[in-house]
Amino acid sequence: MTDILRSWIGGALPDWVIVLIAYLLVTTIVLFYAVGNFIMMVWAERRVVARMQDRLGPNRVGPAGLLQPIADAVKMFTKEDIVPRSADQWVHLLAPIVSLAPVAMMLAVIPWGRGWEPIDLNVALLYIVAVSAVSGVGLMMAGWGSNNKFALLGAMRAVAQLVSYEIPAVTALLTVVILAGGMSLLELPYMQAGVPLMGATILCGDAAGCSPSLYTTVTSFPGSPGEPVQALDLGLGWWVFTPVGLLGFIVFFIAALAEGERTPFDIPEADSEIVAGYMTEYSGMKFATFYIAQYILNFALSALAATAFLGGWQGPGVAALANMGGPWVHVAAALSAFYLLAKIWVLFFVMIWLRGAFPRLRVDQLMDFAWKLLLPLALVNIVSASLMVGLTQWTSAQWGGLLSLDGFAPWQRQLIAILVTAIINIAAAYWILSINQRPTQEEWIEEELVVAS
Amino acid sequence: MNTLITILFVVFAAFILASAIMTVTVKNIVHAALWLISSFFGVGALYLLMEAEFLGVAQVLIYVGAVSILILFAIMLTRDLEGSQNRQLTPRWWIALIVPAALFGLLIVPTVMTYAWQLPPPPAGQSPAISGAQQIGTAFMREYLLPFEVAAILLLVAMIGAIVIAFEERERRRRVLTLAEQVRLRRQQRQPAPLPEPAATAIQASEATGGES
Amino acid sequence: MTTEIQTEPTEVQTTRGGVYVIDRSRPRLRAGQGLLTGLDVVFRHFRDALTRKLEKPSQQTGVFTVQYPEERLKLPEAFRNFPILLYDDETGHELCTSCFQCQRICPPQVIHMTQARDPSTGKPVPAVAEFLIEYDACMSCGLCAEVCPFDAIKMDHEFEYSTDVHGGLTINKEALNRPISYYEKIAPSFWAEVKDSAMKKLQGNMKRRPDLIGVAPQMVEKIRAKRAESAAAQAPAPASATPDAAPADKAARLAAARARAAEKTAAEASAEPVSESTPADKAARLAAIRAANAAKKTDEGATEAPAPTGGAPTDKAARLAAIRAANAAKKSAEGADAASAPPAAEAPAPTTGDAPTDKAARLAAIRAANAAKKAAAQNDGSEE
Repeated sequence: MTDILRSWIGGALPDWVIVLIAYLLVTTIVLFYAVGNFIMMVWAERRVVARMQDRLGPNRVGPAGLLQPIADAVKMFTKEDIVPRSADQWVHLLAPIVSLAPVAMMLAVIPWGRGWEPIDLNVALLYIVAVSAVSGVGLMMAGWGSNNKFALLGAMRAVAQLVSYEIPAVTALLTVVILAGGMSLLELPYMQAGVPLMGATILCGDAAGCSPSLYTTVTSFPGSPGEPVQALDLGLGWWVFTPVGLLGFIVFFIAALAEGERTPFDIPEADSEIVAGYMTEYSGMKFATFYIAQYILNFALSALAATAFLGGWQGPGVAALANMGGPWVHVAAALSAFYLLAKIWVLFFVMIWLRGAFPRLRVDQLMDFAWKLLLPLALVNIVSASLMVGLTQWTSAQWGGLLSLDGFAPWQRQLIAILVTAIINIAAAYWILSINQRPTQEEWIEEELVVAS
Repeated sequence: MNTLITILFVVFAAFILASAIMTVTVKNIVHAALWLISSFFGVGALYLLMEAEFLGVAQVLIYVGAVSILILFAIMLTRDLEGSQNRQLTPRWWIALIVPAALFGLLIVPTVMTYAWQLPPPPAGQSPAISGAQQIGTAFMREYLLPFEVAAILLLVAMIGAIVIAFEERERRRRVLTLAEQVRLRRQQRQPAPLPEPAATAIQASEATGGES
Repeated sequence: MTTEIQTEPTEVQTTRGGVYVIDRSRPRLRAGQGLLTGLDVVFRHFRDALTRKLEKPSQQTGVFTVQYPEERLKLPEAFRNFPILLYDDETGHELCTSCFQCQRICPPQVIHMTQARDPSTGKPVPAVAEFLIEYDACMSCGLCAEVCPFDAIKMDHEFEYSTDVHGGLTINKEALNRPISYYEKIAPSFWAEVKDSAMKKLQGNMKRRPDLIGVAPQMVEKIRAKRAESAAAQAPAPASATPDAAPADKAARLAAARARAAEKTAAEASAEPVSESTPADKAARLAAIRAANAAKKTDEGATEAPAPTGGAPTDKAARLAAIRAANAAKKSAEGADAASAPPAAEAPAPTTGDAPTDKAARLAAIRAANAAKKAAAQNDGSEE
């Protein structure tokens, strides 16, 4: 964007003004993209969850009810803004902003398409985690500033949930960091080229070069650090197809549900228990700001999950189009943006699906789930990921002579790594699930007798 | 570009100073915590301005995301929020001013005295010594291994201490009993007594204690 | 996903109707399997709701929403919302006779009515002049419909009454009236049960309603037009057959016919007590009573029809009846209209024809006859 503006405006303006304008433009575009998706998500959620409950959902405003979010927005804008008399005015006012701003900041580092990334930050994954933790402050401010016990309870629950689910989420993302060898989100989709399960390890055997529509030049995939090679690329080498990626994806997605306060983890705003949690004392546009923040957080987390595990914008045809060069690169970019959007929406559909299917967890169940199930799984997965990297990339010198896989072809090493990690992950998952399976009812009875005596 | 950076630096520095001052002067303790958070944020922004992205993000993650939330939690769980609205400024506030200033001077004066200020900019294309996550990790594992391990042990000790304080022994762990369980419990307790009470009084007794648990 | 789930449950017929048996038994679930089963169920609902509507209760999936203003469920016959009044499609006569039963039983007391009166005599008529129901306070209990002896008040199926007009839900007779055909449409079997008795009662009541009293307000114009039309059609035919039939006015003729019929019924009614009191001069008394009745009828005083209770004095009752008849005749002569005249004139005929032994009775009868004659004369004059 900066380069385009530079070529248009040239020397008419100081360079830093051009940079500023470029960033503002990109920010505006990304925010509009997110808000447009937010509007569609509100509509889709209501329609889809209605169908799951054998209803029709909103279908009166506009065709198929598509203008319903607009009507809702008009309602929100025109509603009276009520601030409780005993509330802390400034904190009450700032809380929605503080909870929306970090969520909007998360959007800055996600690659929305091939070559469409607002910012290339080399610590993008850590940045997203850090920034999403900030929104907890906003919730805390909302809960405390409202001077309402339900709001405070909701805020406490929200922050406790956020803090405890951040750990499995970050641990699951660590597997991505290990696999990618870095925290940049920009590189992740490129690394997930290739074919399912095998990734970009099936190399071109023909010395004369293979068809650019099937094979693409890969420089930075696990297995060949350094020299570029030509590998079979269908755009489907997503990490979710490998055992490590699958487990990581499941753990991360569940943790993301909890961070986005989606059912079954909507404990902070459990309407049947604490009115609306930290949003109890909010009305009108401030309430809408919380609402937007929540949906954009879900959108951003879906985008992150898609980028980290589902290949991001990677998909069949993107690499082939990009290899054709010229204007086709832009077509490839558009196609890749569509792929990412489609993945985000599939994940969002799953979120709605879970909302339609499952009831809300209790707080102790929530904590048990995070600490006794997700975190051990994620920790085992880190070991698996390390093994995966070691088995596919390390030379025998790096292994210290313990293991020598140098003689194998990349696809053979990948196959070995997948087998080993699959065994580890399945065994660990089975064991952890089985020890978590049975509630220890008998144990409690014994302990009750202990209390009695 | 340099103009922009200078402007941003001035803005961030002023912001950090202003929020720090507000932190120590504002009366409401929750407001003080919030000002502290904004000060942390400013520091993170400064790191980003210096292109130390990892540090900036870590600052936000650790201080804003974890420490400040812990502070807020501690305030809200321990304080009577109504009473904390009017924090009294201690009469010996000047001591509180002098001690940190002296400590800060102790830290900053030798640095200022010995530091070579006019550093040549790093040659283009070559990354500075410690910038990214990888370099920091390497540095932790090589040059600063001992401080790193000491800090880790400190944190471990703190964590164990917290567990010891919070952990109830298994024998003494109790849960909220249902009314029926309480009735049964009372009956069991009353059995050794010379005159077994009728069931009605047992229920009454359990109801009397029902509010406690 | 986990088990084969019976999507179409079997229907079992029991003595109390059909029962759908849904097999929900599942094998023991392992960790996480229950969650997946739940997802499966929800997805099946989602898929089916996109493609089909829920049509019968044995279907477990499908959209069950009825898009109300466009689609409507068929209401059951017994559905009741607010009461309505029925009137006959052909004659336009309302079934209500203003017996006040519904007004008495109404728990929230929202029914109000006034009885119709004959404008000439001021006597009540078995019809209702105005009928008000406050729909806003009505509790839809349906007691009024149950208690109504003439099946005139029924519970309607209409329920869209929301309005922003305060007091707009106090409904008058004109708005309450519905043709019988409407009720037959919404509750065919209910109407079939009561149809015959209701129509029979209506025929009886119609005879006691002069002119257009008791005709539904919205039907008045139509009925009047219809009567005028049929009179115009009938006029040439009777003119050729009986040229002496002077009045072409149909209303007058109708009233006359009705009065005659009323006379007949009244005579029947009074016949019983008369026969009990072993009379010496049966004929005279009978004649006198008949005259009295006839005279009364002209006033539409059906309820006050003379019923000389079978007492001991043989001639006393007859005399009383005669005197009463005379009075009635006199009264009718004073305020008589065209309609009342002929029966009054006719009434004395049998009286004079007989030879009564009792003097007083005869005197009374003669007096009655005179009065009737006078009335007839007056009527002739007024007709001219």
